Amino acid sequence: MAISLRNLSVDYSLSQGTAHALRGVSLDIQKGELLGLVGESGSGKSTVAFALMGLLANNAKVTSGTATIDGKSFDLTKRNATAALRGRGMAMIFQDPMLSLNPVFTIGTQLCEVLRRRAPNGDRKTRVAMAEDALDKVKLSNPRRRMNQYPHELSGGMRQRVVIAMALLSEPALLIADEPTTALDVTVEAQIMREIISLRDRIGCAVLLITHSLGLVTEYCDKLSVLYAGERLESGTVREVQRQPGHPYTRMLFDCEVPIDRERHADASENRFTVISGDLPDPRRRPPGCIFNGRCDVSFDECATINPDDYPVGNDAGHSARCLRLRAS
Amino acid sequence: MTRPQRTAAFIASRLASVVLTIAGATLLLFLMVRLVPGDFTSVMLGPRATPELRAQITHDMGLDRSMIEQLWLFASRAATGNFGEDVVSHRPILDIVLDVIPNTLALAFSALALALVAGIPIGVIAALKPGSWLDSGLALLSISFITTPTLVVSVILFLVFAIGLHWLPVAGAGDPGDIMDRLQHLILPSVALALGWVGYISRLVRAALLDTLAELHVRTLRAYGVSEYRIVGLYALKLALVPVVSILGIGLGDLIGSSVVVEIIFARSGIGSLIFNSIAQRNYPVVQACVVFIVAFYIVANLVVDMINALLDPRIAAGRG
Repeated sequence: MAISLRNLSVDYSLSQGTAHALRGVSLDIQKGELLGLVGESGSGKSTVAFALMGLLANNAKVTSGTATIDGKSFDLTKRNATAALRGRGMAMIFQDPMLSLNPVFTIGTQLCEVLRRRAPNGDRKTRVAMAEDALDKVKLSNPRRRMNQYPHELSGGMRQRVVIAMALLSEPALLIADEPTTALDVTVEAQIMREIISLRDRIGCAVLLITHSLGLVTEYCDKLSVLYAGERLESGTVREVQRQPGHPYTRMLFDCEVPIDRERHADASENRFTVISGDLPDPRRRPPGCIFNGRCDVSFDECATINPDDYPVGNDAGHSARCLRLRAS
Repeated sequence: MTRPQRTAAFIASRLASVVLTIAGATLLLFLMVRLVPGDFTSVMLGPRATPELRAQITHDMGLDRSMIEQLWLFASRAATGNFGEDVVSHRPILDIVLDVIPNTLALAFSALALALVAGIPIGVIAALKPGSWLDSGLALLSISFITTPTLVVSVILFLVFAIGLHWLPVAGAGDPGDIMDRLQHLILPSVALALGWVGYISRLVRAALLDTLAELHVRTLRAYGVSEYRIVGLYALKLALVPVVSILGIGLGDLIGSSVVVEIIFARSGIGSLIFNSIAQRNYPVVQACVVFIVAFYIVANLVVDMINALLDPRIAAGRG
């Protein structure tokens, strides 16, 4: 098993109390596999990424969690536990490419800086050649010229390619892509996803794709984990979960996706988008029972008192969900 | 436009504004001196001056001509570097000013260099561990530097190191032919002038660095394992220096202003002491020439500041900064 994350819990201390952002989240990603981590805003999906990288804000505290990467275990409750992996074992692509590069250094300087870490003894010339090659691989036109350009001279999509080139240069075992296309034009989305896939093919790394878009996950990912209010409610292969969602929340998420061929009414107000009514529970006071109970359309009495275990869904061994309806009765 | 063309256009537009600013400042200065109430000659020569002498001075200074004529004479002469002859010493005013300017420039730039060399590292160290004891200690130090007036610092340095310990010379600018002697004479005045700026620059660097360190591109570098020292000392610092350099441009005016005090205490000849003495003698043409030079220096310094900033941040040269 290439990468596993076990029982990750993260608290944020806020002025109004302690928010439990993540509770007992576990993930498994094989080498060469794309795992989509889906959830709505505030579900804690980015917190998973930053806890893995050890780059959480100062008011965050990892209360439990172990990461195993390439056979080595890291106790995430220790700050900087994975510091040695940054830029080597792990690389990350960020949400906003307009802000994720330093505006006063050239693309070349920033790419070569990443290489300093991987090849501390290499000379400048080799690094420049490697960086140029990486820009070429992520299909940025005219890589030699790009090396001497500053981020403001490039478009958002081009800058995201630069960050992907950084990831490529650090040859990670795990690539974390945190909403890599959210800030970009829809037309650029497919190109950027294709570059991420081709990076995976080149290096054979595991990819954790963090997104709110189920469409992106069903199109590109092998496996899917659903995060809700800091808890993982369902996980399995994309095909299985899509065919037979084990959790009502997953089913409702799929219902919210707007199919492209949906029949449209001439009167726009007649068009009904499916929404999940209600809000995320208060992260400072977790209600007893199932975390989704307040918004569930098929809940029953016990849902308010019993916190469900992870039950298998169907016959697929890797598919499970935390819903009392799956209890073998 | 290509990048070199954009840079050339940027420099050309800045140079044009420099010429206009110097012209405007000179006009303002001319009017200010003429519009001051009271008879110029009686202030200069005192109440018991004979009418003949007054008429003589009035004529020598061209004050009997019309304002427009005076302005034209002043501007056309000033443009060629001719500020007229000093009525007291009968030397060309330009020579008097040029004699003392190197002393003042040496003082101002050594103070500036000291302020940067000490202020930037203090700010960087404070920003490495914000909220730590070291940070608080450096904050206290910086703020005491800022709040102690140059006058007090000068007198203390003078009493301790020159008079008490005899480590450094007491007064003057040193033997013009002896570089070591001149440098020794420069130490105390430039420390006195720089101290407040050390505090100011360190606080600015710290604040700008902390702002920059919260930006997302810093997170990218951290995620790729770049060491915190390289992040703070190189990647964040270059960005944080932009506001610091801008403020330095404005601060240079203050530096020249404070040099008046320092030059008088340490009995150095310089533009500060020249202005002070000329005002005491009511020798307005000399004051006027000195101020033209200070204005020019200030504007050129700000031009240099803009260019340094354009070098630091390419977005400024691209007109997006």
